[in-house]
Amino acid sequence: MLLPLFIFTIVFVLGPLVYMVVLSFLQRAETWGVTNEFTFKNYLNILEPVYLSTFVESFKLAIISTVLIILIGYPFGYFMAKLTAKWKKRTMMLLMIPFWTSSLIRLYGWIIIFRANGVLDKILMALGITEEPLKVLYTYPAVVVGMIYALLPFMIFAVYSSAEKMDWSLVEAARDLGASRMRAFLTVTLKMTLPGLLSGIILTFVPSMGLFFIADILGGNKVVLVGSLIQDQLMKAHNWPFAAALAVVLTVITSVMIALYRKISGVKELEGIV
Amino acid sequence: MKKIIAMLLALALVVMSFAACGTGETAKTDGGEMVLYTWEAMFPQEVLDAFTEETGIKINYVNFDTDETMLAKLQAAEGGEYDLIIADDYIIETAIAEGLVAELDMEKIPSVGNVNPIYQGQFYDPDDKYTVPYGAGVQTIVYDPSVVDVDINGYSDLWDASLESNIGITSNYRVMNGMALKVMGESYNTEDIATIEAAGAKMLELAPNIRLIKDDNIQDDLLSGEIGAAVMYTSQVTMAMLANPELKVVYPDEGIGFGVMGMFVPSKAPNSEGAHKFIEYILDPEVSAQCFEYLGYYCTNKEADALINDEYKSFLTLPEDFSGDTEMIGNISAEAAEAHAKVWTEFKTATGN
Repeated sequence: MLLPLFIFTIVFVLGPLVYMVVLSFLQRAETWGVTNEFTFKNYLNILEPVYLSTFVESFKLAIISTVLIILIGYPFGYFMAKLTAKWKKRTMMLLMIPFWTSSLIRLYGWIIIFRANGVLDKILMALGITEEPLKVLYTYPAVVVGMIYALLPFMIFAVYSSAEKMDWSLVEAARDLGASRMRAFLTVTLKMTLPGLLSGIILTFVPSMGLFFIADILGGNKVVLVGSLIQDQLMKAHNWPFAAALAVVLTVITSVMIALYRKISGVKELEGIV
Repeated sequence: MKKIIAMLLALALVVMSFAACGTGETAKTDGGEMVLYTWEAMFPQEVLDAFTEETGIKINYVNFDTDETMLAKLQAAEGGEYDLIIADDYIIETAIAEGLVAELDMEKIPSVGNVNPIYQGQFYDPDDKYTVPYGAGVQTIVYDPSVVDVDINGYSDLWDASLESNIGITSNYRVMNGMALKVMGESYNTEDIATIEAAGAKMLELAPNIRLIKDDNIQDDLLSGEIGAAVMYTSQVTMAMLANPELKVVYPDEGIGFGVMGMFVPSKAPNSEGAHKFIEYILDPEVSAQCFEYLGYYCTNKEADALINDEYKSFLTLPEDFSGDTEMIGNISAEAAEAHAKVWTEFKTATGN
């Protein structure tokens, strides 16, 4: 019974991964393609300051986005778990509906909002808050908004699914025993929802390292993330081995982060995605 | 009951599609078939129909989406299967080097003299033995004089401080680094690493003026006022100019670069005769003018220039007195290409800070 699954995994998961690793040790050919000479050059090339800086830039954006997503998503998921069953379903529905549209199309929606004399400018100018178009599109804040928008639901669902399962009588017990609201939250609620929060962090931080198309579309291609560098090297520079080496390093970094998460939380499965 | 209706409808659809096939067959096609292999939407349908009408040769139009796909398919077919291919200059150079392209029989193409000599004798086919150009992309600057305070006459004007955060560019780094090379008086195709790095340093000075870098629909940003000036592809210039004729198209003082799409016959084309007839047919000035107005690329047929509608003239034909330098971007060594990619990444990073 399991055989088809094994074959599938080998062909479509392991195969490409091995191909990528092998590719990362080859040399690029003169015009396009690769030659079969073994080299470490591609990995050494990553140490060039300009290419290292794309990793730093990716981390910076991922951290900023994740922190903001926690600040918005944790309270959202927490209060959602306290709603009545009917409203839980409705809220869930409202969160799911945007996913029925292609994420690319939803991003273009943000362009319409952010563009010069777009929806945002019209509202702000009508209210007399600004006098000239803000020109938010193609700036860093626009990219951050796009990242939050794309990844927020993952945090909400992860926190919600832990808070849902929580035994609220424990919080009551803490309060009965004299803990302040804050203390009860910190010692009971936060601890019990920690697995959800951590998996939410993984589910937002890891993809945000790779969601370069958001930076490309809303940031006007000016924020160079590892993902966009890989794309440039592959599609524009035709330097497949270097692109493969970058992809291998990115894969290793994200794997390490997931391993760390497992170690810290002691959980084997990511919360909120089943 | 519902099921029966659905079945009947499905049946009706099938019958209708057969009927549609039937009408297609009525054109007389005793001249055999010709396989035309190129991108989508390269010719107006009327031109293809008229060719079939005149010669009796039926055209089987097959599409590819990238030059690389075309080369891979042509390699697999060992130069057979296709009769006429239209693709970009640099890939034709590779195809010729691999022996996949047949020499053209110029006696069958008397109208080849109509081709604008500016686009001939280029790196991919120095003696014009294998190809006939079909459309060119010319790198121009387009700007909106109502929002830009300086007169832009060349690439060097883009460095003007008044254009801060007001320029859009495409992401072809050979073209964009090439602007700096041109300002420095160098060739697009220099393989000297120090020169490429110097161009990179020059590009860093341009970074504060760059508001966005993108390939798709950059003309929208120019039209909506997001940017005041842009360096863009010809098809985008066409769309921008049609939407706002007040925009200005600039042929940079430093000289222009361009890319050419060429028609060629593969080495083992089954119907090489038909392919030659097609090239000759397309070179007719009136047919050419019709094609280029549809295609939105620069007219490579000098005799057709005069026939192009005035509305399109300023961006589909070079000015009559054009005498500037021209240079095409060709393939360069792997080291030089890597140096370009690196300074481009440095430049992009700088635009974000």
